[in-house]
Amino acid sequence: MKKLKTVLGFELSNYLQNKTFLITSLLIVVVIAVVMFLPRFIDMSDMLGTGDAAGSAEESAGDDDGEEKTYVIYDKTGAFSKTAVLEESFPGSKWKTAKSADEVKKQVNSQKASAGFVVNSLTEYEHFVHNKDLSDMDMVVFDELLAQAYRVSYCEEKNLPLDEVMNLVNVNVTGTEKILGKDMSESFAYCYILVIAVFMIIILYGIMIATSVTTEKSNRSIEVLVTSTTSNSLIFGKVLAGTIAAFVQVGLVLFAGVGGYAINYDYWGGKLDAVLHIPGNVLLVFGLFALFGFVFYASIYAAVGALVSKTEDINKTAGSVQMIIMIVYFLVLFQMSNIDGTIMKVLSFLPVSSYSAMYIRVAMGEVAAWEIIVSFAILLASTGLVGYLAAKIYRMGTLRYGNPISIRSAIRMLKNKSAE
Amino acid sequence: MKLEMQGIHKRFGEKEILHGVSFSVESGKALGLLGRNGAGKTTTIRILMDVFRADNGTITLDGSPFKASEQKMGYLPEERGLYPKKTVIDQMVYLARLRGISKAEAKKNSLRWLKRLELEQYETKKLETLSKGNQQKVQLASTLVSDPDIVILDEPFSGLDPVNAQILKDVVNELIAEGKIVIFSSHQMSYVEEFCEDIAIINHGEVVLSGRLSEIKKEFGHNQIVLNADNYTPQKLSELLSASFGDAVTVNKVQKDGCIMQCIGSSRRELLKRLADSDIEIERFEAYKPSLNDIFIAKVGEEA
Repeated sequence: MKKLKTVLGFELSNYLQNKTFLITSLLIVVVIAVVMFLPRFIDMSDMLGTGDAAGSAEESAGDDDGEEKTYVIYDKTGAFSKTAVLEESFPGSKWKTAKSADEVKKQVNSQKASAGFVVNSLTEYEHFVHNKDLSDMDMVVFDELLAQAYRVSYCEEKNLPLDEVMNLVNVNVTGTEKILGKDMSESFAYCYILVIAVFMIIILYGIMIATSVTTEKSNRSIEVLVTSTTSNSLIFGKVLAGTIAAFVQVGLVLFAGVGGYAINYDYWGGKLDAVLHIPGNVLLVFGLFALFGFVFYASIYAAVGALVSKTEDINKTAGSVQMIIMIVYFLVLFQMSNIDGTIMKVLSFLPVSSYSAMYIRVAMGEVAAWEIIVSFAILLASTGLVGYLAAKIYRMGTLRYGNPISIRSAIRMLKNKSAE
Repeated sequence: MKLEMQGIHKRFGEKEILHGVSFSVESGKALGLLGRNGAGKTTTIRILMDVFRADNGTITLDGSPFKASEQKMGYLPEERGLYPKKTVIDQMVYLARLRGISKAEAKKNSLRWLKRLELEQYETKKLETLSKGNQQKVQLASTLVSDPDIVILDEPFSGLDPVNAQILKDVVNELIAEGKIVIFSSHQMSYVEEFCEDIAIINHGEVVLSGRLSEIKKEFGHNQIVLNADNYTPQKLSELLSASFGDAVTVNKVQKDGCIMQCIGSSRRELLKRLADSDIEIERFEAYKPSLNDIFIAKVGEEA
């Protein structure tokens, strides 16, 4: 235990003496903290749309865009002979009429008009746009306008009272939503961010741990080390140091973000609730699963480091592990919209994926306490087993130089060795 | 203390590397572990250090089972290295602490060894900034920083200039004088001859020669005599001996420092008397002791 502490202290000092690590960590924390306090000193209501909540409400006047958009229309039906109705439905727009569909196309192509419409009938039209942006709602608005024109024309034709028909079509329904369980839309954003965060620290620190092991092989200090202390102290000292460094870094970032947000909550007007208002129970489950999930993968990475002799070979042996981590990452992200589906349930019990799948189920879905306990027990047992195997592989791999050995070959060697 | 290896066998896969290696070494003495490249020296040392487990055989210390982790060991491996980006003192303290020394003692011992090896000015320097020879000395200092009872030095002189080699020689002699067990592996036979009372030569995974070096030399001398004269070159002396003393000696070899010959039909005393009565100005007349280099080549070099 004393030697493990010595290795842990030495490895931690390596992280602390790593200027890139220190500066990056401090910079991220400082930037986040500064951003969290900004609304206290700068009026960000326009940016955040929190005029009311922040107590410095100032109605924003004028057009949102400020720029007038020009549209062109060729209407075969005559329903839009007066463009006033169009200008009213498309705020801040100017409408021109064209004599043919080709003219509409030309004007849009030459960008004399932002968009154009060719109305062939009251139920069919064409929309021309040069480059369509993601927030383009022109067709949605125009659909409604044309449908309204159709209704007017239909009522006139059939001699029906337009008001009554309109009341029938546009019934005002009042609905009040009472969420008794969880609102996925509230937890989706922070779950998404936490999945990415865990994925990143596993990949980033995993490689750092593997590199630390391989470096000791490549600089030939490993023989002195394995004859000075136990290989278990060496491997677990590195794994624990990586774990502490990773969680301190993430913890500081979370603290700066969540803490800064809590302190300045009134100034933010709850605008970042979706990202930073994480319930305590979710944070606890996240912390525990992420911690042991990290140790699980960090042990594998340490074993990987022992199986290669040069740092540039790490990715050759780590490829299969990286692949598993990537697959888990994408599966979990894709299944966030199907939280109670079978795939997510299975993922939340597998030790390779429970570190992110289980807390997402806790945050967004319904999970029984026994499920969390069983999943955590599986993760704990698997981490213990992987740690045991990693220590064996480390012991076997440390003095093997030459070509990289795959994890599968290493396990086969261990089996053969124990069978002898 | 007496450290004994008995009948050590080691197999890697299908190939047996060691076939029953045995030797012993006592406190206050140094054992020279010799052998050609790939003979099995490093494997033997690694088994002693518990890096590898022996398939068969025993290692005992004063008759009790030996475990490296339970002893104060200092091991300088042939394939050595430290942390190039760390300061000299940091890594010495770290290695000492790994071997169970307290932080304060580790620091004290580190400074003492840095001073002893004339490295004190490099205490806070990063290892990579030191010359190869000084890095080698830091490595030696790191080996000895935990004040070990058993010291294993694998090729400790490689990379050292004559001045640093002399410092290292003095240190090894001090270790022997302090009653440590020293196991010394080297291809530089002159150093082995200088330090080691006992030797063990390993060839193809087995000990082909072991014992007290002085006795081995005597045995390999085959009762021969070295004769050198002030007034004759070795070659002329050889011719004279063959012509005038052919009934008493056979010259086996002519070296630049004399003739190596065997007495036939007369005792050494009688031969010496006849030589003294002749015109030969005797500069050297003594029992021939071959160098360790000669013994080594004679023992393991035949199939080279």
